[in-house]
Order: sequence, then C-alpha cells, then structure tokens
Amino acid sequence: MPENTSPAMSEIPFRARATLWIQREVGRVLSIFWIPASAFALRFVTRYRIKNASHLRKRFRALVRESDEPILICANHLTMVDSMLVAWALGGSWWYVFNYRRMPWNLPEYRNFASLWIGRAAVWVTKCIPIKRGGRREEVSRVLKRVRYLLSRGETALIFAEGGRSRTGRIQLDSIAHGMGRLASSVRGCRALVVYMRGDRQRTWSTVPAFGDSFYVDFEVFRPHSERTGVRRSREYTQQIVDRLVRMEEKYFARRK
Amino acid sequence: MSREEIFAKVMEIIGRYAKNREILEGASEGTNILEDLKVNSARLVDVILDFEDEFDIEVADEDADAVNTVGDAVTLIEAKIA
Repeated sequence: MPENTSPAMSEIPFRARATLWIQREVGRVLSIFWIPASAFALRFVTRYRIKNASHLRKRFRALVRESDEPILICANHLTMVDSMLVAWALGGSWWYVFNYRRMPWNLPEYRNFASLWIGRAAVWVTKCIPIKRGGRREEVSRVLKRVRYLLSRGETALIFAEGGRSRTGRIQLDSIAHGMGRLASSVRGCRALVVYMRGDRQRTWSTVPAFGDSFYVDFEVFRPHSERTGVRRSREYTQQIVDRLVRMEEKYFARRK
Repeated sequence: MSREEIFAKVMEIIGRYAKNREILEGASEGTNILEDLKVNSARLVDVILDFEDEFDIEVADEDADAVNTVGDAVTLIEAKIA
C-alpha cells in the first residue's frame, strides 16, 4: 500500500511556518472577541438557526475526543457565509475559544474576501488563508502546502467540495475541487468529515442565506483509501468524498418529499 | 517520441476539455491551458489522467502543479517517458 504522505509536501519554508504560527496565536488571543461576536451575529442579527445543533455538537466533540488525528471538513457550498455556519453548527462559540485548534482553517476566495486591506486583516485573524481559485497552479499549491502542514500539526481545516458556490443549487459534479482529495491523501491519518448543509429557504446559490433561515446540517466521518499513487490516488480520495456528499444530498431531498 | 509528436497528442487531449475553440486552433507551446484555452481548473486533473493513460506515465500532484502551459505539459511528459 502506498505511503500516506507526500514527501514533497511535507515541508514548507521556516518563514511560512513562523507566519502561520503568528497568525494562529494572534487569532487565538483575539478569539475571545471574534468567535462569540460571529456567533452572536449569526444568531441574533441574521437570526439563523441550526436544527439539531446540540446533537451535532455532541457528535463532533465525541469525534474530537476519540482521536487526535487531523480532520479535513469537506462541505457543499451555496452561500458566502457557509464556512461560518458549518463551524458554528459543529462547535458552538465558547467551545472553540477553549479548543481553538478545532476552529477550522478556511480557504476563502481572495477576490471576495481579501482584495481590500480590511478584508485581508479580518480573514487573517479568523484562521483563513485566501486562495485564488483557478489561479496559477504554483499559487494554489503553495496554499495547499500550508493547509497540509497545519493538518499534519493536528489542526482542522475546511474546504468546499465544489471550490466555489454551486451554480445549480445541487452538488455540482463538473466543478469538484481536486485539492480536497490531495490534502486528505497527503496527511497521515487524516479523516474526512463530510458536511451537507442547506437552509430551508435556499433554492439555489446566493451571497447570504435568507434572514431567519433554519439550516439542516448532517455529517459523516470516514477515511478515504486508495491503492493508487500520484494524481490518481488524490482523484480517488476526492471521488470517495464527493460520493458521500451526493448520497447525503439525496438523503436530504428524499426527506423533504 | 519526438517533442512534436508529444505536442500533437497533448493538443488532442486538451482539445476534449478546452472551451475556447478559436485559440485551440492556433495553440502553441506558450498557450496557457486554464487562462487561454479556458479549461475548467477542476478538469485539469482529467487532462493529467488522460496524459497518464496516453503516455503510460505516472504524474505526482507536485508535478502537475508545474503544468500551466501546453509547453509545460509537453516538457513534463518528455521527462517522464525519457
């Protein structure tokens, strides 16, 4: 069986490691403000509600207690605040303040969130590494190497299965992000936590969900596997994650009938 | 296999995924696969897997990162089959 690590991705320069450490620690110190404030805004300003939140959080905490191994959260993507909602659904605010490494690192689109200095500052504090989707391969690879490094240190990361928001409102199979399988296959012991989330009033993609919407959230955890190597191995990992996500979406729509 | 032969096969494979047919017609080694030929970045993996099948090679994720232009793809394949 092939080794579950990719040597070329195992190291990033010292400068990058130091920068990530500073980013993490500044974010951690400030987390007492930004995490509860984010949760407050979701709950009381936009009046969003996660159905079954306490059950979801119990399951997630049990998962974290069960093993220290890294978790790559792979979710469907319909709105620009999905990463906040997924994190909120799984952990709750104060729990993250005291379990900061379980607050997922996120890869927002640079053009949406980091083109202005204020946006760059905000995403830097809130555990984000902006990425230019569809940008130069070396740039995308540089970001993935950083996430790979963080995962290998026991951090949690969130990546959207479709790269961008689904233009069809369903899992968009023609725009699946290969980076997801690449990360999962290159980090030893990495578990894929597949999340399907959808607001009751979410018909298709949008900037933000409708105010006051209630969200169905479900997740499954598994370890993708493959006997292959190279790109084909990453591709098989990606496919296994996507297959799960598609099944979860089918389950969601079957329940709504 | 000569570089020209590799180029021809690479173009045939990329042609299956390229959205910009006009630029595809006159593509050279300097043509960018994503930006000029408008191959969806998600489909670049399919292009690489087709290279693997066509040339009986194996490509690592890191090797694939270096593929931006048609010429990069030809150079990668040339090195793999050498």
